[in-house]
Amino acid sequence: MIEISNLNKKFDETTVLESIDFSVKKGEVVALIGASGSGKTTLLRCLNLLETPNSGTITIGDTTQVFSERPLKKTEKLKLRQYSGMVFQGFHLFPHKTVIENIIEAPLIVKKESKETLIKKGEALLDKVGMIDHLDKFPDALSGGQQQRVAIARALMMEPDVMLFDEPTSALDPQLVREVLKVIEELANEGQTMIIVTHEMNFAKRVADKVLFMDDGYIIEEGSPEKVLVHPEKQQTKSFLQLLDDEA
Amino acid sequence: MFDWFNQIHWEHLFNPELALDSLPLLIEGLQITMIISLFSMLFALLFGLVVGIARMSKFKLLSFPARAYISFMRGTPLLVFIFILYYGLPVIGIQFTSPIVAAIVGISLNFAGYNAEIIRSAIMSVPKGQWEAAESLQMNYFQMMRRIIIPQATRIALPPTFSIFMDIIKGTSLASVITVHELLYSARIVAGRTYESMTMYIAAALIYWIVCVIIGYFQQRLEARYNRYISN
Ligand SMILES: Nc1ncnc2c1ncn2[C@@H]1O[C@H](COP(=O)(O)OP(=O)(O)O)[C@@H](O)[C@H]1O
Ligand SMILES: [Mg+2]
Repeated sequence: MIEISNLNKKFDETTVLESIDFSVKKGEVVALIGASGSGKTTLLRCLNLLETPNSGTITIGDTTQVFSERPLKKTEKLKLRQYSGMVFQGFHLFPHKTVIENIIEAPLIVKKESKETLIKKGEALLDKVGMIDHLDKFPDALSGGQQQRVAIARALMMEPDVMLFDEPTSALDPQLVREVLKVIEELANEGQTMIIVTHEMNFAKRVADKVLFMDDGYIIEEGSPEKVLVHPEKQQTKSFLQLLDDEA
Repeated sequence: MFDWFNQIHWEHLFNPELALDSLPLLIEGLQITMIISLFSMLFALLFGLVVGIARMSKFKLLSFPARAYISFMRGTPLLVFIFILYYGLPVIGIQFTSPIVAAIVGISLNFAGYNAEIIRSAIMSVPKGQWEAAESLQMNYFQMMRRIIIPQATRIALPPTFSIFMDIIKGTSLASVITVHELLYSARIVAGRTYESMTMYIAAALIYWIVCVIIGYFQQRLEARYNRYISN
C-alpha cells in the first residue's frame, strides 16, 4: 500500500535522503531505526509532505506522486497527505483547545463532518487511548504521556491509512513511556498500518513486522526484527545496537 | 524657599469649581476624542493586519513595500504626518472636508505601522510545531490561520495592542493643533478664557487617565479569558 522508490531529499546542497526504496503492505508495522541525524525524521516528514522530496516517487493507496524540482501544487500535497497521520515527538496539541476540541478540530474544519457525530467518534477514540476522563481539560493540564495519547487520537480522527510516529516517546519521562507504547501496540494489533521511528528496541522486536536501519541518508539494512536487530550484518547496525545496549 | 512656597496661589493650582463647571464642555471634547480613537484603532488594526501579513510574505513585491511602510510610519512623528495630510496635501489638490477626518486618517495610517509589527511578531511567535500539526492534519493556510495560529497570536498580541490603543487615545490630543474640538482643545478654550491653565490641563489629564484606567480594566479581563488554558 506504500511504495517508495528512489527518493532523494536535499537541504540546500546537503543530501539528507539518498535513493530511498522500500514498501509497506497494508497492516504492516515498520520500525525505522538509526543514529541521530541519519534522516529518519526527514523521511517521515517527506511521506506526510511536511518536506517535499527533490526526486523520486511515493505511492500511497491509489495515489502516485512523482517529485522533481517543480514545487508541488497545493492540491497534490493535500491529495497525498490525506493517506497519512503524523504523531510528533513534541505532541504539538493545540493549547487553546480542550482535549475533545483538539481531536475533532481537523475533521470538523477540513472534512466538514457534523459535530455530534465527531464528538461520539472522538469519545470512543479517547476511551481507547485511556483519556476519556480528561475530555474537557486543556493540554497544559496533562502529563506528556497523556498529551501524546491525545495526539495519537487526534491523528486517528482523520482515518489515515498509515500512521507515522516520530520518536513518540523520546520526550517523555521514563515512567510515562509504557502507557504510550501500549496504545501504539494495541493499534498495531488491530491491523493499523504504521511506520514508527523509535529507540525502544524491545518494543520494535515485539511489534514490528519489518525493521529499516538508516545510516547517513541511506537505508542500509532491512528485514525482520530478528534479522536486523538480533543478527545484523552491517557494521554500522552492530555499532548502533551496541551503543543502545551500553546506554541501557 | 518659604517665600516661594508662600507666593503660590493655591486657588490657581486647582480650582475644583471651575473644573466642575467646565466638565460638560470637556465631556463634549471627550466624545470627539473617543470617536477619533475608536475609528482610528479599528482602521489601524485592519490595515495593520494586512500590512503585517504582507510583511511576512515570501514575495518581495509584497514584503518590501510593507517593510518600507512600517519603517516610515515608525520613524516619523505623528504630528508631522498629520501636518502633511492636513496642510500639505491641499497642494496637490487633496483637501480634507473636516479636520476630524484628517486626524482619523493620519492616526490610523501611522499606528497601522506599529500594529503590523505587533501582529507579525505575535504570529511568528506561535511555535513551529503548531503550524506543522495543523498542516499535517490537512488544514489549508486559511483554516490553519483562522483556527490555530491567529487565536494563539491574539493572546500574545493583546498587551501591546492595548498599549497602542492607549497611545492612540493620548495621540488624538495632537488633533487639537489642527483645530479638532477634542478633549485637549476644550481644555485650552477654557484655559485661555479664564487664565486657569493649571486647573484645566490637570482636569484634562485626569480624564485621559480615567479613560485609560477603564481600558486597562477591559485588557485585564480579556487577558484572563485568553490565559485560561495556561495552567501555572
Ligand atoms: N530543515 C532542515 N534544514 C537543514 N538541514 C536539516 C533540516 N532538517 C534536518 N536537517 C539535517 O538533515 C539530517 C537528518 O536529520 P533528521 O531527519 O532530523 O535525522 P534523524 O531524525 O534521524 O535524527 C541532519 O543532518 C539534519 O541536520
Ligand atoms: Mg528525528
